[in-house]
Amino acid sequence: MSETDQTRRNFLFAAAGGMGGIAAAATVVPFIGSMLPAADTLAAATTEFDVATVEAGQLVVIQWQGKPVFVVHRTPELLKQVDGHDAMLKDPNSEAIEAVSAEWITPENRKYRAIKPEYLITVASCTHLGCIPLFKPSPGRAEWGDSVPEDWPGGWHCPCHGSLYDVSARVINGSPAPHNLHLMPYKYLSETRVVIG
Amino acid sequence: MLEKMMKSKLFGWIDERTGAEAIIKSQLTEYEVPKNLNYMWNFGSLALLVLVLQILTGIFLAMYYKPSAALTYGGYTVAFDSVERIMRDVNFGWLIRYMHAVGASAFFVVVYMHIGRGLYYGSYKGPRELLWIIGVVILLIMQGAAFFGYLLPWGQMSFWGATVITNLFGALPVIGEFLQEVLRGGFAVGDPTLNRFFSLHYLFPLLLVAIVGGHVHALHVVHSNNPTGLDVHAGKSTIPFHPYYTIKDAFGVGVFLLFYCYVVFFNPQMGGYFIEVDNYVPANNLQTPPHIAPVWYLTPWYTILRSFESKLIGVLAMGASLGILFLLPFLDRSKVRSARYRPVYRQMVYLFFVTVIILGYCGHSAPTPTLKLIGQISTAYYFAFFLLLPFVPMFEKTKPLPEEI
Ligand code: HEM
Ligand code: FES
Repeated sequence: MSETDQTRRNFLFAAAGGMGGIAAAATVVPFIGSMLPAADTLAAATTEFDVATVEAGQLVVIQWQGKPVFVVHRTPELLKQVDGHDAMLKDPNSEAIEAVSAEWITPENRKYRAIKPEYLITVASCTHLGCIPLFKPSPGRAEWGDSVPEDWPGGWHCPCHGSLYDVSARVINGSPAPHNLHLMPYKYLSETRVVIG
Repeated sequence: MLEKMMKSKLFGWIDERTGAEAIIKSQLTEYEVPKNLNYMWNFGSLALLVLVLQILTGIFLAMYYKPSAALTYGGYTVAFDSVERIMRDVNFGWLIRYMHAVGASAFFVVVYMHIGRGLYYGSYKGPRELLWIIGVVILLIMQGAAFFGYLLPWGQMSFWGATVITNLFGALPVIGEFLQEVLRGGFAVGDPTLNRFFSLHYLFPLLLVAIVGGHVHALHVVHSNNPTGLDVHAGKSTIPFHPYYTIKDAFGVGVFLLFYCYVVFFNPQMGGYFIEVDNYVPANNLQTPPHIAPVWYLTPWYTILRSFESKLIGVLAMGASLGILFLLPFLDRSKVRSARYRPVYRQMVYLFFVTVIILGYCGHSAPTPTLKLIGQISTAYYFAFFLLLPFVPMFEKTKPLPEEI
């Protein structure tokens, strides 16, 4: 066989093999694609809730897109607990990533992280690995023992790896969680009815 | 008996069509094994036994198990109820489920002993590097299979364990979120997750069968190491696998079954170590149990994860702690294999075993500042063990090796 013959063959082998390889790799697309959330899973996207059903000082956990969501009715005392410990927070102004902020945030409600300060609504998944933190609203250790630090401002304690959040769900320094609890889009349909999502 | 069978007419007929005689000879009756193997060499055949037990019991469980998170009239879920039905109504269902659940833990006990043996006697060193690497792949697939299986009963630990682990993948940069969606099939762990985990739980053990085949093949090319770590010479210091080691492995199986059956019949939950107590509470996606921890065989790696402030570094460290096992054959530069003749390595490897147990203990317990510190020190040693290996031969004075075993 002559020299030119061989190079042409090699080229054809490489070309055919390469095309075949690309085609084989492309079949991955539908298979992996089938594993992404299905259309009906994506469609179940909003939840309606009446915040008036939450007693003052109480926390409820509701469901949105299969994810847990906190709704807290903050009393005036709880709202005061938001102040005075900015130095302890990783991200006091909720600016680190998009998911901790919202378009309705104003300079006035920034520290409350809520449209109506008395009703805090956040995604309830710890930003570390997704456990649901425990609500430990009263400041100090009196009620909570050493599961919280001595200068505890009140808020949430995650049972899984010990992350701490204040009463505006802002993460406290030293927690394994990187971010404040996420906010999700919601709006008030009436005085007390909210639609989440 | 084997010889007699091999002389029969029927065997001759089969041999002509399959070459069975040559296979039996090269793999069993004329396959040379060092004569001085101790009982640490029994765990390989035990691992094979447990793999077969898991597949067998799993196939029968799958005849009754239903992978659905749909709610039932009782207020539980189809999956949770189907497991309870296996326990209460299906004939011998309790036995098959306990065999499977205990078998998962037994699998890891046996495989960890097997790996520890390899570490101590330097079995990962040339020419057995690839054999070791295939072994690490087996470990990873086993961990995957057990993780997928643990979601199936759809209890609180199933649910929250899967939530935490799928979030781990989410922490990876760029591909993290995509991977997490692919694993979950939704915004959170739910019905689609349960279905795909069941599918993968069926697949992974079958993958294991193929890879274990490769592991045994690789072994039969390079042959077994032995407690002295010396290269052995066929005939002088070896004996054929059959009948000598078939009988010794069979004895090991007897002893193993004694322990296994004791646990299956008298203590299947092992005080919450083999089946966690919280897993008898149906999954509730709105409430995390007060203390969540993985099953014991994953806790050492969980502690490594928890030892870092940054989520990403924790995840990477956990990955690295398993990944570094692949590099072990290339990190250890000593010419002597067995720890018997390596005084420094011997101390290091003992301390390593203790460290892994401490890591496991920390991962199983609720986090406290003291345990966190202990976990961090142990994590540091876990990595130091591997990273020191290239330097140990520079100062280690190995003991004189015997001429022959
Ligand atoms: C590598 C081998 C295997 C390991 C390590 C393993 C591990 C596990 C684990 C840890 C569980 C949860 C046990 C519990 O708490 O009840 C489980 C459940 C289950 N496994 Fe496997 N498994 C293996 C092979 C298989 C195979 C081959 C099948 C066949 C389809 C199977 C079918 C099932 C089923 C149906 C369940 C749910 C019932 C139950 O929870 O008891 N497994 N497996
Ligand atoms: S999941 Fe909350 S601290 Fe890890």
